[in-house]
Amino acid sequence: MTAVATDVLVVGAGFYGLSSAWAMTQLRSGARITVVDEGEFASGASGRNGAGFRMQWGLDLNILLSKESTAFFENAAELLDYPRGIELKQDGYLVLAHSQNALDRLNASIAIQHRYQVPSELLDAEACMKMVPSLGRNRLVGGTYCAKDGSASPFRLLDALLIACRREGVDVRYGTRVERIEKRNGVFTASTGDGTIEADRVLLCTDWAAPQLLAPMGVELPVTSLPKEVIVTVPCTPRVRPILIALEHHMSVNQLARGSIVFVVSRAREGHTIESTPGFLAWAAPKVVDLLPGVAEVAVLRTWGGVSSVTPDMQPILGETPIEKLYVAVSSYRGFMTSPAVGRMMAALVVQGASDDPVLAQLSPSRFKTGKTIIEPLLNQE
Amino acid sequence: MAAAIEAAARGCDVTVLDESARPGGQIYRQADPRLPGTEFAEPTELARKKRLLRRFDESLPAIDYRANTVVYAAFGNGEIHLQAEDRTEVLRPDAVVLATGVRERAIPFPGWTLPGVMFAGGAQAILKAQRTSPGRVAVVAGCGPLPIVVASQLARAGTKVAALASLRSPLAILRSLSGVWRGRDIMREGVRYGRSLLQAGVPRLTGYVPLRALGNDRLEAVQLGRVDEQGRVVPRTVREIACDLLAVNYGFIANCELAAMAGARMRHDPDGGFWLPETDEEGRTSLPWLFAAGDTAGLRGALVAESEGTIVGAAAASAVRAIAPSAALSDAVAARRRYGGFALAVRDTLAVPLALWRTATDDTVICRCENVPLSEIRSALERGHHTLNAIKRNVRPGMGWCGGRMCLHSVAVLAELHAGVAPGKMMTPRPMARPVPFAALAKQKHPAAQ
Repeated sequence: MTAVATDVLVVGAGFYGLSSAWAMTQLRSGARITVVDEGEFASGASGRNGAGFRMQWGLDLNILLSKESTAFFENAAELLDYPRGIELKQDGYLVLAHSQNALDRLNASIAIQHRYQVPSELLDAEACMKMVPSLGRNRLVGGTYCAKDGSASPFRLLDALLIACRREGVDVRYGTRVERIEKRNGVFTASTGDGTIEADRVLLCTDWAAPQLLAPMGVELPVTSLPKEVIVTVPCTPRVRPILIALEHHMSVNQLARGSIVFVVSRAREGHTIESTPGFLAWAAPKVVDLLPGVAEVAVLRTWGGVSSVTPDMQPILGETPIEKLYVAVSSYRGFMTSPAVGRMMAALVVQGASDDPVLAQLSPSRFKTGKTIIEPLLNQE
Repeated sequence: MAAAIEAAARGCDVTVLDESARPGGQIYRQADPRLPGTEFAEPTELARKKRLLRRFDESLPAIDYRANTVVYAAFGNGEIHLQAEDRTEVLRPDAVVLATGVRERAIPFPGWTLPGVMFAGGAQAILKAQRTSPGRVAVVAGCGPLPIVVASQLARAGTKVAALASLRSPLAILRSLSGVWRGRDIMREGVRYGRSLLQAGVPRLTGYVPLRALGNDRLEAVQLGRVDEQGRVVPRTVREIACDLLAVNYGFIANCELAAMAGARMRHDPDGGFWLPETDEEGRTSLPWLFAAGDTAGLRGALVAESEGTIVGAAAASAVRAIAPSAALSDAVAARRRYGGFALAVRDTLAVPLALWRTATDDTVICRCENVPLSEIRSALERGHHTLNAIKRNVRPGMGWCGGRMCLHSVAVLAELHAGVAPGKMMTPRPMARPVPFAALAKQKHPAAQ
């Protein structure tokens, strides 16, 4: 059993945790930073996502978060001094509508995107088919396209963040599960499997699992989880370009440079397992064939489960909890693609103790008391 | 086959799912009956093959035997997912026996991916199924009994065997006299194979291993070198032999991905099959419906597999319906005990010093599916990624077509060798065990829908 003292304890070494820790080092405050993770490298939701990032959203704050993050992805190799690169691929996102309702949402969103200079454009069904010939025509009514959206390797980015954090003196510990956190005399004590960590400030980046640590401290955070499952195919000839979002198929589709196609599918169901479920493939396969008849003969190589956090308004929760100096960052469904911006904001808030960032102001944990909800029209999940 | 025969004899409805076109598995692989020519194995081995295949054939009326059927997933709820032709199906049996055998253990060396370099068991499979040799001039290498058998069978098939290189002397097995006594009839087969090698004038190189395969588009020659007990190459012993076939076997790894995928508790046994399901004497895993028989439950060879198949088939049947033990069962228990002792003696000849993995150079490909060279594995290790999952997530070994069946054992050894850390956990098992097209997944027969 060991006892460790630190200035900032970050719980969770996924994208939000490591991005925040790295951004804290860039503030040069001299703060000692410790990051703990219950699993091994990339074993949680961060290692299980679909690798895409997009600026095509319908809500100002999501557009702002992803715009800033996209600029970071474009320069991540230099910013994090990671010569291997993060396998950045920017050949666009095509968001597809298969109903008038979805098309209306796309129309409303593109107007907001243009307000923030997102270079997106509206396409009719013919133009979508021309762009992606393997698409099926069934019910397709149109889509929007943005050439600057794309994908990167989550594993590379997470490794780059991990190395950069360690280079800057951050103590990153895997296999360390925080069982509970207590605050006494202004100091937080986190009990882990192999000792305690005392910290002046704590940032919870355990996403959908955050309520488990908060509830015993009397803080209710309205976060639940939504299982997702991912399919990757064997490498095949190029047939899906750019990345697709099918709003009504609850699916994103990304063919990687090495030829394999990744499908991220969300499926509302009972239970909250992070692993693959028996009925999933037979349920998803007809949807895949309906969306993309051109991939029917491509073989599925592997599937895995993932999970994303669900908040009442499906927006991130970022900020200080009712307990002073205890902060939380919950991604709500898009941790990878928003992590650079969120990391910067959370670092400033945790290290400086306050922030006047307008995006953070909208996403604070206290917002659910007001009863005011904000709605993102371009989520592709049930 | 033995498990199916026994379970069917006990009145169970039995379904056998076989990836091959005909019964027999790897050991008793059958050629297309229309193919002319003879088999190259010893008559006593062929007699065992004929006897088991005949017993299986006699039981076939009570068995739903499905050839060319691939099991691509097993889940904790007892579902077995299979593909046959252009469709898939879900089975929900009361008990499942995994008898999925082994694959060969690879030790990568420079040039091992050249056409003409193959596993010794792979070369033997061609002899069995096609009754023809995969090469004209062969070098056979490795450890344990298989290289001896394959060299002899290649010679019988008309291949010139330029050398048989063995890590250890075949006499090493004599260290376990009781084991040898128990396996005396099999030892006799070994002696006959050895004698036919002598008659064919095959040069034997004891203590030698392949260090490098040479050639441009395909194998032209192999460099062999002598290694000491720790597996280090002895200076000035390297010799080059021209050949168009290099058949290598360094023992085996059990095929137990389906057990791991279903969530059975696994144990680590580096020379006994790598990761294995925990089983009791009757093949029960930690899941009440799942059993493992033969090499799937730990490497012990074909003779143990046949008797254990009977034992596990009986246990699986009694999990489904209570029936008194049969005479066949007590014979099988005795046979397994006897051949199990022999298998232990053989096992000692299959241990491989870790230093053999040092023959790989920085550009030697370790993961063939994803084309990952040793240098990348080492760079991941140097960056502090020491678990199989973390190495996979960083540099991709195990993410490709075969799911790590070929490379993960080597990756684990390399972690131990280069970072001093033996990965304590297996890679997270995930569907699919084999790739299946979307179209076949979309056409699925499910028991709930019947």
